[in-house]
Amino acid sequence: MAAAPAERRSGLSLLRSHWPAWLDIFGWVGRISETRYWAWLMLLPGFLLISVVIFYPVISGIWLSLHEYNLLRPARGQPFVGLQQFIDLLDDEKFWLSLRNTAYFGIFNVINPFMLGLIIALALKRAVRGAGLVRTLILMPWFMPSVVAGHMWALLLDSRLGVINDILVKLGLLESYWPWFARTETAMPAILLVGLWRGFPFFALLLLAGLQSISQEMYEAAAVDGANALSRFRHITIPLLLPVIVVAITLRTIAVVNSPDLMIILTGGGPGLATHVLSFYAFQTAYAAFDFGYAAALSVVMLGILIFFTLIYLRVAGVDRD
Amino acid sequence: MQLSFRATQRLYRFLTATVLVFAGIFALFPLVWTGLTSLKLNTDVITAEMQYLPHNPTLENYFELWSRKSFVTLFGNSVVITVMTVSLCLLVGTSAAYAFSRYRFTGRNAALVGFLLIRMFPMVLMLIPLFIIMRNLNLLNTRIGLALAYTTFLLPIATWMLKGFFDAIPPDLEDAARIDGATRAGAIVRVVLPLAAPGVAATAVLTAIAAWNEFLFALMFTTNEASQTWPVGLHLLVGEEFNLPWGLLSAGGIISILPIIVFFVLAQKSLVRGLMQGAVKG
Repeated sequence: MAAAPAERRSGLSLLRSHWPAWLDIFGWVGRISETRYWAWLMLLPGFLLISVVIFYPVISGIWLSLHEYNLLRPARGQPFVGLQQFIDLLDDEKFWLSLRNTAYFGIFNVINPFMLGLIIALALKRAVRGAGLVRTLILMPWFMPSVVAGHMWALLLDSRLGVINDILVKLGLLESYWPWFARTETAMPAILLVGLWRGFPFFALLLLAGLQSISQEMYEAAAVDGANALSRFRHITIPLLLPVIVVAITLRTIAVVNSPDLMIILTGGGPGLATHVLSFYAFQTAYAAFDFGYAAALSVVMLGILIFFTLIYLRVAGVDRD
Repeated sequence: MQLSFRATQRLYRFLTATVLVFAGIFALFPLVWTGLTSLKLNTDVITAEMQYLPHNPTLENYFELWSRKSFVTLFGNSVVITVMTVSLCLLVGTSAAYAFSRYRFTGRNAALVGFLLIRMFPMVLMLIPLFIIMRNLNLLNTRIGLALAYTTFLLPIATWMLKGFFDAIPPDLEDAARIDGATRAGAIVRVVLPLAAPGVAATAVLTAIAAWNEFLFALMFTTNEASQTWPVGLHLLVGEEFNLPWGLLSAGGIISILPIIVFFVLAQKSLVRGLMQGAVKG
């Protein structure tokens, strides 16, 4: 993009001379494109699509939360019940437990990958030999389908065939194979391990970009003034990286609160209700129980939580300022 | 104790290398293990003594997967839905992104922020109304229905990415073309799009990977094998069996990530740049 003007000109004419002439039959499109309606015409398909597939569903979802609607009881219809389903939520033990699990899952599934991602970003910034290769390779977990990632870890941690169990037993850290996903005390930590694996590349990539945008001269100046590595990290790196950190953490929080994938694939919310998070509860209420009204009410509660984090994101990222 | 400058440097280099090696192992070990498992017969998976390297490496699992009728259907569905989603997002997204990048109009910022906020909505909240709409329009169990559903969360991201790439192309180039007699539409097709090609490709790759991987909508909006996608089929292959077909599952996992790896290697550089533009204001 940063080519010299002279090169641009010649590249352009080269391009023009190679473009087939038949494209010019779209002359009328060209004429419209010179009018003031053009911007709106280009935006129209996007806005139409967004209204149909996003705004309408979201609004009707909120509307649905005020109605009783169970697909398995068609005779009941869709009576308007006002806030009744939200009042029901207050008495629903499963809801409170899911909320607590969401907080637990949300906090650690953000903090763990953040810490690991930060350490790796700091290492990647030091541009040793092979750092570029590692940077590419560590992105792989992020791009895996959640189903494949889930099954990979189910196999690694399997209670009879899991290689991690085998390694831990051989190292003497474990007496016998442990059913990680089937025990109340280890089900959530095991899911968090999968979450860490899938989540750390996102942080490493974003934080690396943030680190690279900090001017090297600052560090040199601080070093001249006698600041050691730790104080350079505390007084230069962390403050300057803070906006990126906050953006990355809020984006990740939103994604984590939103997605029940790992629970569907690995534990089904169990054992007991040990991994029963809010997104899984809402999904299960719609998918298995077909109680769309109650599921909508659960989703509206999630929407409230997400709006909170979204507001933080907007403030820090400054996307609304141009 | 004060370390000498050279000793400190050596210590840092050692720490850096250690971190990177462990990061690489952590990221790749599950993939490598799945690859190894896919080469084992089930009798070599379920053993008293764990086989780290397959004693009798075989491609049997891959052949068996291929011979299953459902595999071809599922894989085909995923390919078609992915192609439809990418086309839809690129067509609509390019047009909207160009307008956002080149014009200043009332409500522009609000609309841009709105596009960004869409991914903050709970998926489950959209899942239910979309299900009802699609049932009323007979779009459940159809490929176009799923492609439309994927567009809900991919179009905003694609638009933001593309806008970033368009922003990086100086408007002078278009103006030059228009002085030479091209219309604005002509300038878009002949100047902007060719210059933005790497960015458009990266957007296509990202959209394709996301559509290929999607699980939640596909699970909700399909009820029979003829219309399911590959991730859903792979998930249901597990079922409730006690002795899981691990070799087969692993082969399925490896097959489903091959296209991603190929795409990823092809567009790695602009992909990384595009991802940042969507996340942190570019």
